[in-house]
Amino acid sequence: MSPDPSEALLAELRALVGTRGPVQSARHPITVTAIADWCDAIGDTNPLYFDEEAAAKSRHGGIVAPPATLDIWDRPGLPAQARFRPADKPAAGDPRSKALRLLEDAGFVGVVAVNSELEIVRYLRPGDLLQNTQILEDVSAEKQTALGTGHFVTTRQRYETVDGEHVGDLLFRILKFKPGTGVSAAKDTGDKRPPPDPTPSLRPRPGINRDNQALYDGYRAHELRLPRCNGCGRLFFPPSPRCSACGGFDIGYVVSSGRGSLYSHVTVHHPQVPGFRYPLVVGLVELEEGVRFVADLVGVTPAQATVGLPVELEWLDSHPAQVEGATDSRGSISLPQFRSATPRRREDTLAAAAVSEGERLPLWTLPVSPTHIVAGAVATRDFQDVHHDRDLAQQKGSKDIFLNINTSLGYLQRYVTDFTGPEAVVTALRVRLGAPAYPYLPLTFAGSIQSVDPATGRVVVGVQASNELGPHLTGTVELELPQ
Amino acid sequence: MTRHSYAGRAAIVGIGATEFSKDSGRSELQLALEACAAACADAGVDPSKVDGLSTFTMETNPESEIMRGLGIDELTHFSRIHFGGGAPCATVQLAAMAVATGVADYVLCYRAFNERSGRRFGSGVQDRPAGATAEEAQFAWTSPHGLLTPASWVAMFATRMMHEYGVTSEDFGRVAVADRKHAATNPAAHFYQQPITLEDHQQSRWIVEPLHLLDCCQETDGGQAILVTSIERARDLAQPPVVIEAAAQGMADDQHMMRSFFRDSIVGLPEMGTCARQIWETSGLTPADVKTAVLYDHFTPFVLAQLEEFGFCGPGEAKDFVADGGIELGGRLPVNTHGGQLGEAYLHGMNGIAEGVRQVRRTSVNQVDGADHVLVTGGTGVPTSALMVGRDH
Repeated sequence: MSPDPSEALLAELRALVGTRGPVQSARHPITVTAIADWCDAIGDTNPLYFDEEAAAKSRHGGIVAPPATLDIWDRPGLPAQARFRPADKPAAGDPRSKALRLLEDAGFVGVVAVNSELEIVRYLRPGDLLQNTQILEDVSAEKQTALGTGHFVTTRQRYETVDGEHVGDLLFRILKFKPGTGVSAAKDTGDKRPPPDPTPSLRPRPGINRDNQALYDGYRAHELRLPRCNGCGRLFFPPSPRCSACGGFDIGYVVSSGRGSLYSHVTVHHPQVPGFRYPLVVGLVELEEGVRFVADLVGVTPAQATVGLPVELEWLDSHPAQVEGATDSRGSISLPQFRSATPRRREDTLAAAAVSEGERLPLWTLPVSPTHIVAGAVATRDFQDVHHDRDLAQQKGSKDIFLNINTSLGYLQRYVTDFTGPEAVVTALRVRLGAPAYPYLPLTFAGSIQSVDPATGRVVVGVQASNELGPHLTGTVELELPQ
Repeated sequence: MTRHSYAGRAAIVGIGATEFSKDSGRSELQLALEACAAACADAGVDPSKVDGLSTFTMETNPESEIMRGLGIDELTHFSRIHFGGGAPCATVQLAAMAVATGVADYVLCYRAFNERSGRRFGSGVQDRPAGATAEEAQFAWTSPHGLLTPASWVAMFATRMMHEYGVTSEDFGRVAVADRKHAATNPAAHFYQQPITLEDHQQSRWIVEPLHLLDCCQETDGGQAILVTSIERARDLAQPPVVIEAAAQGMADDQHMMRSFFRDSIVGLPEMGTCARQIWETSGLTPADVKTAVLYDHFTPFVLAQLEEFGFCGPGEAKDFVADGGIELGGRLPVNTHGGQLGEAYLHGMNGIAEGVRQVRRTSVNQVDGADHVLVTGGTGVPTSALMVGRDH
């Protein structure tokens, strides 16, 4: 009787557990330019990463690399990708690469990161030349997952400078799976009908007439134009041809700042009609100008919708397939929507005593586009095709390209340090990865303070970033704040 | 003080309804004619004597067809009330004004539809073409953003009510539990012998958060008619007169059709407050004089708001008022003793007027002692109406 091929595979994989790879060295030292590119891709404007003067005055005494970049600098880059590897260059000899090749040959061609835990011993600086050694900690037996049958592969990497100074560690777990073998974990909603086509152009259309024309002309120009009496200056909504205060019929408009807060909200579950995704969160927004406006919310889950949530305007037309928001006889218009307001980056640094357990961070919704994904992948020096090549990503069982984990960690680091201020020292980023972050699915970060130790300044922030597919990452960020 | 001069000079003398079903199997016109004929029979009035008709603008059965079907030779009064479910008590007000002023002698108020087997209001405006009249254009503020149904509109008020007053879903649920308790003993109710618990309410699926399925009224096929005449004629008919002690319509500041989201405050029902003021001033009564009420219940949250607008309790206190069976039989103020629209039938509130009449006649299946004055209300969140009916002295 011949052995079960899956058992033979597992035996081969298990033989690699505990083995160490060769020292992997960066080809070039860290540069200010590479750091700046990373900051641009992530949108992190913490001056300690690129402003010599500000950095010199900081606790670091000079420019530092963002902590989430620990494991990007010694990556072998594009030439290490199978399609680009020179014929005379041997395949990577580290145990994870060996394990992944065995799995790919056995049909486990899909890949997703599952866990990533970065522990920062010291912040990196321009000029640091890094190396790491990898140990394969575990390969799981075959598991049935939502994505497909697969194996979890766990490694730990120790990062040092070439001079041997320990700067950090990475525990990393990925799932290699067979595309198309997944079991959907879809919840039983009691409604077996397929969801309606969410294409926005199928939405009910507004009736446009002479009284409200200005509003819809504004939609075309991406301006939320609020009616204002040209006589007495009174602002009002909804539109009316006559000012009820002064009696004037000369009605103009002001362009709303688009900022406001939720006055009320609902989540629509039933009935489900074409043009929308359900459950659909709809807000009654109190605009800064003092009038209210109804619109659906983007990137806000039913649980995140709370009275008072700060929101800001965006327009439903960013997706090439979503050009038509709604149409009247004069063609398509865009539609206003609201997302949670982008939090402002804190310019001073919170003291540990200024945060309290349970305190919530403001929500942050990132409108994920292909550019975000590709720019992030390149800036984090991750050239895996699933992060930049849609055709290859789809061949590997993914619906589209998706954010690589280092970019997600970069956004996570930015989210938390924008809240704490620039001189918070990140000592660890530990996340479990879930739903992929595909283009056009807004990704919303939420967080709360899990623990504070005022004596040491150590703070743990619990975080989750979710899109409509579910939690994308869930985990913690550990920091040290000034006491 | 405002006192409407027709008050006390007109009475309800007949009520008539079809059965309440999910599929009547006959035309809306037939339902209307059956209900109208039944109301006349209840009063002992030959239908040919009817010379006035009063109904909703949403009614599909024209007065001309009702006239033909009832064998009426001449109509001197026919008029309609707008704004959907807000109309029921106003059809009776219109009838009372007509008979009190001599415009007509017998006015039938009617409403009939196949609202469950035919066009369902609960599915909202999704199929509505993008008309652009001043009325149709009002939907532009909500429909492109997915607020398409009455449930979705009312839910927006409910969330704010929960935020400002600390009302919970359980508080809404107590309204449903009371309605279904009353329906359980009413053989005419769709939910006869089917009471629910608060747990059932909490477990029912979301329609539009914060509204569960059991916060939303059912949909019904059926018809209901109410016959109104002068108090003098009423005293010679088959039933004891049920006097129209007061009736009112109301709209209030920045009024919209179930979407008055733009007011300074959205936790109350100021248009119902407008009705309440007129009802109390015209009738000379106070909340203490009212032992039972029929409060419009297409969705549970607005039952709480009505208790506050009529002064049965203070603002924000309705959640305490409905606690511990407060609006059930034997409670502080039994509400919707027929089962309401959640329990008996959804007939745009017209069946609630019939229950008010039965309470005054002492013929309700859930009779409340001392029901000498019964408050009945029309649709909530919309331009609306209210009615106080009482015993003849």
